[in-house]
Amino acid sequence: MSTVSEQDIQAGKGTRLVEMAWDPITRIIGNLGIYTKIDFANRKVVECKSTSSMFRGYSVFMRGKDPRDAHFITSRICGICGDNHATCSVYAQNMAYGIKTPILGEMIFNLGEAAEYMFDHAIFQDNLVFVDFCERMVKETNPGLLARAEKTEAKHADIHGYRTIADIMRSLNPFQGAIYREALQMSRLTREMFCLMEGRHVHPSTLYPGGVGTVPTPQLFTDYLVRLMKFIDFAKKLVPLNDDIFDFFYEALPGYEMVGNRRILLGCWGAFQNPEVVDYSYARMTDWGRAMYVTPGVVVDGELVTTDLTEINLGIRILLGNSYYEDWQNEEMFVSHDPLGNEVDKRHPWNQTTIPKPQKRNLPEGPYSWVMSPRWYNKRTGEFLPLDTGGGPLARLWATALAGLVDTPYVKSTGKSVTITLPRTASSGEMQLEWKVPKWANTIERDRARAYFIAYAAGMAMKFVEDALKRLRGGDVRVFQDFDVPKEAIGCGFHEAVRGVLSHHLVIRDRKIANYHPYPPTPWNASPRDHMGQPGPYEDAVQGLPIFEENGQENFKGIDIMRTVRSFDPCLPCGVHMYVGDGKVIEQHHSPMLGFGK
Amino acid sequence: MFGFKRNGKSKEKVVANVRVGKPQVKPTASAHTAGVKRGNARGNSEKEAGIKTAPDRLSAKATARRSTGINAEARNPIDPRMPNLPPA
Repeated sequence: MSTVSEQDIQAGKGTRLVEMAWDPITRIIGNLGIYTKIDFANRKVVECKSTSSMFRGYSVFMRGKDPRDAHFITSRICGICGDNHATCSVYAQNMAYGIKTPILGEMIFNLGEAAEYMFDHAIFQDNLVFVDFCERMVKETNPGLLARAEKTEAKHADIHGYRTIADIMRSLNPFQGAIYREALQMSRLTREMFCLMEGRHVHPSTLYPGGVGTVPTPQLFTDYLVRLMKFIDFAKKLVPLNDDIFDFFYEALPGYEMVGNRRILLGCWGAFQNPEVVDYSYARMTDWGRAMYVTPGVVVDGELVTTDLTEINLGIRILLGNSYYEDWQNEEMFVSHDPLGNEVDKRHPWNQTTIPKPQKRNLPEGPYSWVMSPRWYNKRTGEFLPLDTGGGPLARLWATALAGLVDTPYVKSTGKSVTITLPRTASSGEMQLEWKVPKWANTIERDRARAYFIAYAAGMAMKFVEDALKRLRGGDVRVFQDFDVPKEAIGCGFHEAVRGVLSHHLVIRDRKIANYHPYPPTPWNASPRDHMGQPGPYEDAVQGLPIFEENGQENFKGIDIMRTVRSFDPCLPCGVHMYVGDGKVIEQHHSPMLGFGK
Repeated sequence: MFGFKRNGKSKEKVVANVRVGKPQVKPTASAHTAGVKRGNARGNSEKEAGIKTAPDRLSAKATARRSTGINAEARNPIDPRMPNLPPA
């Protein structure tokens, strides 16, 4: 819900700024608040602060536990991408135990994760993001734009079947639009695909360090394949539809590219291990990292700075900034040097000690959030970069495109783009898609990349399922590697949660967890200002945002701000309550579809 | 309550500005009970009936023994070059 402060602020230069806040932001997971100061005369957001009022404490209570439980416990961090945590934890444990998952087992991991990307991106894009672009919403916020959409022909009408942009917008209307409803059905299919591989959605029951408990049979993979073909049929329609609607926004609202635009600072930690190459040894992490089917990388100002997972790992710094924690500078140092002899910083997750310090939120001077400020240290320039994930897909596609390392029958990286070939399906022939590196890291490009990454994941799933069937037909059934827990070890796992970078850092002592720090994408994206005053990515993207909404201050919905925040696919898991002042809390229970149509 | 005295001042500890009680489980408690078999322990894969692990330990072939204990030999493929694809 949005709140307008009663007292407007007079800024120094005679500009009238209005404080507006959205807390909590809806249609995301968790408790995120966006506090802004808006200059309505110049139609611009002048200041933005993002805050989270939720403390989790995983890094606190993981200590002392059996490391073999880590993936089961950390899966519960999230109710939508728990499997990404489980997978990442397994990667970290594999390194610590000195083992590798057998090839067929690794393929099952990849197939499960591909299904998760397809599921989560599709349901978020079509059922949550598109509510901001649907006919009903646009009618409320930009009636002039809707009138133009009625007259604008959709370029890919022959593929998706909607003649005008307004027709597309109508298909996105919640509970009524055809695309909205079809996406819901598709989310069932992709969830089934996921469950075939990982046993249960969203907290997998068959993933373990060393492999999977899933029994590989021809039926397992063909059950997956038949669902995948149905989903690909849908994805072929979805990508051109996304292009049509987003291109229309650029065309109809000149300057819309500045909405949510920020300096290109993208991080991707890589996904889909190459089963033939990965051995989880730290010494070879650079090599197996580059062999991943989504290339890890850091993109700064459009240039690919590195694809080296070891460098990425050593560059991670957790700054406290404006968060409610006490510093751990005087606490124990767990890892002073990595296995290659490189120095590990005190502010690296391996050496972090979480000391929560709850206090009153102080937005003007700080601290004001439970989210810390992760930054990536660029040793070339000495900067602490507030990387964002571009909602996940933007950073993944950007790093993969520039690296030029992925070359598979369905997905190829060209050095400046990513081509995706989707095979012939029930209702259409083979289709080739190309995601080209965009000019901006803005709201529209974050959303557009999500549609392309759905196709990317589908293409990779085709490869993995074909490889797995071939291997199975050759007689291989091994999916698990046995192991002993070492007395002392360290490990790190790098993966891509659906909405971006994910790392788990683990220290084992006396066969127990001595330190464990998961760093999911939202701490990167939703981080508050650090001690140098650098804003976090949400704050940065919203600050300076031009307003295109046609409503004045009275009926202001903040649609451009909401589109921007949601383009990052925010996720701060926990319950959401509405605080409306004077100590009053509203709890609203909503059952979608119940009584609909009456 | 695991011997935790609610009002026992000596049991209380302050971390940052948070007053915390006695942990229900000590961080030094054993993560594993000695003597209990671990499913993940090295050597267990070799003990599994009907699975023949390759020397590189990254692949394995199944035999009919994986699916049945009754006259399994007779149920293997007639040609040793053929893969054995047990139903589960």
